[in-house]
Amino acid sequence: MTVIEKQTLIGKAIPKLDGPKKVTGEARYVQDIELPRMLFAKILRSSRVHARIVRIDTSAARKLPGVHAVITAADTPGVPLGHGKDNPPLKSDKVRSLRDEVAAVAAESEDIAERALSLIEVDYEDLPAVFDPNAALLDDAPVIHESHPDNIPFTYEYSQGDVGQGERDSDVVIEDKFTLHFVTHCCMGVSGAVAQFDADDNLTVYSQTQVPFLYKKDIAPIIDVPPEKIRVIQPSIGGGFGSKLDIYPFEPICILLARATRRPVKLTFTREEEFLASPTRQPVELTLRSGVKKDGTLTFRDVATVHDNGAYTSWGATTPFVIMQTISSLYRVPHCSYRTTVVYTNNPYSGSFRGFGNLQATFAVESHMDKLAEAVAMDPLAFRLQNAQQPGETTPQGMVFRSCGLAECLTTAAERSGFVEKHARYSRYGRGQNGQGGPVKRGVGIASLLHVGGGAKIYRSDGCGTMLKIDDYGHVTVLTGASEIGQGSETVIAQFVAEELGLPISSISVVNDDSELTPWDVGVHASRTTFIAGNSAQRAARKAREKLLAAAATKLELSAEELDLREGNVTRADTGEALLELPRLIRSLHFAKKSEVVMTAEYYEPPSVPQDKEFKGDVSASYAFGTQVVELEVDTETGVIRIVKVTAAHDVGRVINSLGIQGQIEGGVAMGMGYAISEHLLVDEGVIQNPCFRDYKLVTAPEMPEIDMHFIETLDPEGPSGAKGVGEAPAICIAAAVVNAVYNATGTRFDSLPLTPERVLRRLKNHA
Amino acid sequence: MTIEQYAAPETLDELTRLLSGGNALIFAGGTDVMPQTRAGARQFQPYLINASRVAGLRGISREGARIRIGALTTVTDILESNLLSEHVPVLVEAADCFASGQVRNTATLGGNLCNASPAADLAIPLLLVDAELELSSNDNGAPSRRVVPISDFFVAPGKTVLKPTEILTRVIFDAPPSGFRARFIKFGTRPALDIAVVSVGVAGATANMVFAITRVAFGAAAPTPIRGKKTEELLEGRLLVDDTILAASSAAQKDVSPISDVRGSAWYRRELVRTLTERALHDVA
Repeated sequence: MTVIEKQTLIGKAIPKLDGPKKVTGEARYVQDIELPRMLFAKILRSSRVHARIVRIDTSAARKLPGVHAVITAADTPGVPLGHGKDNPPLKSDKVRSLRDEVAAVAAESEDIAERALSLIEVDYEDLPAVFDPNAALLDDAPVIHESHPDNIPFTYEYSQGDVGQGERDSDVVIEDKFTLHFVTHCCMGVSGAVAQFDADDNLTVYSQTQVPFLYKKDIAPIIDVPPEKIRVIQPSIGGGFGSKLDIYPFEPICILLARATRRPVKLTFTREEEFLASPTRQPVELTLRSGVKKDGTLTFRDVATVHDNGAYTSWGATTPFVIMQTISSLYRVPHCSYRTTVVYTNNPYSGSFRGFGNLQATFAVESHMDKLAEAVAMDPLAFRLQNAQQPGETTPQGMVFRSCGLAECLTTAAERSGFVEKHARYSRYGRGQNGQGGPVKRGVGIASLLHVGGGAKIYRSDGCGTMLKIDDYGHVTVLTGASEIGQGSETVIAQFVAEELGLPISSISVVNDDSELTPWDVGVHASRTTFIAGNSAQRAARKAREKLLAAAATKLELSAEELDLREGNVTRADTGEALLELPRLIRSLHFAKKSEVVMTAEYYEPPSVPQDKEFKGDVSASYAFGTQVVELEVDTETGVIRIVKVTAAHDVGRVINSLGIQGQIEGGVAMGMGYAISEHLLVDEGVIQNPCFRDYKLVTAPEMPEIDMHFIETLDPEGPSGAKGVGEAPAICIAAAVVNAVYNATGTRFDSLPLTPERVLRRLKNHA
Repeated sequence: MTIEQYAAPETLDELTRLLSGGNALIFAGGTDVMPQTRAGARQFQPYLINASRVAGLRGISREGARIRIGALTTVTDILESNLLSEHVPVLVEAADCFASGQVRNTATLGGNLCNASPAADLAIPLLLVDAELELSSNDNGAPSRRVVPISDFFVAPGKTVLKPTEILTRVIFDAPPSGFRARFIKFGTRPALDIAVVSVGVAGATANMVFAITRVAFGAAAPTPIRGKKTEELLEGRLLVDDTILAASSAAQKDVSPISDVRGSAWYRRELVRTLTERALHDVA
């Protein structure tokens, strides 16, 4: 008997399905949308960082030929937006930061709209401003929002165990303050939207949102349109990285202009505007006290942070949710306490950004892990392994690690990079103590990470819907709620479906860009899409598979258990022998006496639970781990850091698309490297000094180091085929590994970022 | 300012006649003019003159001891020139540090000099070879020319000795003698697509069996690209031994007067001037 081996798509390198369209320019981004009679919008922003608006005169702008509408706050429902609901789309009483939207114009061209902006007169009365969050906490500080006279929109407190006891148990206690800076997403596709009302007042928005269903609910009151009358179409999105998780004023402004003019309106940012008016990663000042016993056991962590919220509250204010996870649960620490004060300032405001607070937290925690190891004379790897989480652990914060590859990530990254030997050698020679001549010193550093890998139950549901149909030629259309923002979810979803139905990937189309068609999903965040939408798609496909096999069993007079779907055929399960072409089976269902279509639906809800009031609970269905080792050179005469090699071992549960994970790791390393050594949004008294790629230094191709990647497969019991999320993880721990490596090379430890050449040289030369 | 008239003359005569009326802005590759006008850093004039079609101003040639480079020669042309690679490789090295491939394909030598950025990459090697700049104009209907040494060309950031009626047409210099060695180091915070935080050039030749430095130049370290006169004096006729190099790199700090901006502080630029001068001198020693 000939047995045909079953082929699998899982774990293969599948090029992204949307790749050819993006490479050839065929993909349509919001910038490419053109509708008949479309107008173009521009926003007038504040020229002051903190001022009362005394008068706005739009009369000259309205008279300019080609201008169809000029709106100010008076033309809006006056409902504020954002996570804190403190940000009116157009400001009426006062402006609180330089990006503040004051008026907007719709005109027949962008040029006319821009000229109209220059004709709008605004009188301001300057108010005292504050840019340092610590200064904003003082009693006599200027008040940014009258609703919060103390300038504190949020505080967070978390504790486990008894930190006092932990301190008494410690042989060594260290304390440091870490300061993290402003960076921004730098999506290649700048922000924009197109809005159109039809004759029945139905609104269609071409939006870049990465949360299309929450978007409808959130934007409805701001524009005074019921959510059921809003259709969200998502053209190809040129990068999200969390920035499109919230609604920013430009979208309601675009929609309100469309309603005012009864014509389609398009609003797109310039690159400079993208820098000035996009959210940032939240600057954090973090004071960390840690203790350890002589034998290398961690005893406690005590953390206080001050977050610069900027002038308004977007998701940046909620990063403490993630920060406290790393503090409490990356390693086993019996006693922890954590306090955060989120403070309004007149700076740009922060949003959600890949890693969501975890880059800041991991930088501090993993810097301290190296310092503690040194204090008890242990190798940094051995020290981490001794305190590493293990599979089956329930952490004091309530997270359950059903799968956990941390120890394997640590040992793999260390072994493959030669970490232990190099670390010992460079610390002897690298500091120039023992004859290594020349100004360039080499160092190696290690850091690990914990991040949610199966969503995060911050809403009542963390679910995702899928609908699936098969046509009479065997082509499958999958309608998923999960948005594709460049992360590769479309391809992974197609893989899961193709695998269940025994079809080639080319037989699957994924529809994910139109809220009129697709079922509900929370949105792209929390590294959840492969896990949640993947589970949903896989289960929808299994239902279709069962239906097809049942129909085939009847037709072939065999039992369903004896049958399988492979390569477009119904086959014998044991031998793989093809018995019936799948399209023929489907057509026979359509043309039967009792006709049927093959359409299935699934709503997958993960078994995670919301955190309780003390921030405890198993908030994600799975947790991702990883370790990165960085080898670098420091030029001690110029301050230049050259990252030579990154060895990255990531617990991915199970590889679904190896090319996709590779892309996530490469992109994450580039983004994390930028955070560590080059990216810095310079904000001076509320004014961004470098709103261009010339002076905001993204990592470019020649700087990319060799990356040696290792996928650690822990087969998560809840993950689809064992997979867990990997979207955010690769960016999280590299900054900590870089500072640890710089210390290894030079003996100088940095507690703030980025390590730009000048900042490095200043420290090395002790120049203030 | 709105543009009232656009012209794309095909001869130098036509161009200089247009210029003689004043109120004109010339562009060639457009890689400075376009972003600067868009950012509001430079105003358009009533006349916008596209110089890129003028015949005879693009190309690299040698006539006897003289090397002539037309002002419309692109950075890519310089990069790919065998003549320049053979005689003044330091100019090719500078072209190799210049922006990105796309910018090099359209940016011109003339534009890089006339933009008069203190950080102009191509100015440094041309200072090292004492280049002369040919400026053309139209004097009451007759073509007119004058020649200025590059060290006198730059006046201030964005300002040169060019009159509103003049255009830079050629860069001319003697092919360096055999035994000429030079080095250009551009320091940016990344290896490509960057504006110099500081750049340093050194050049020297062998006389009486001794290799000695004759020219030193700095970019982004003063209001204009400059010669390092104090450093040159210190190095004149001296063997490049370690002590001399150290002394020269300290002298270099006295030649410069850097500012602080988003790309680097004055302190950092001084540090770089010393370190890069030392490294450049070691490289050619």
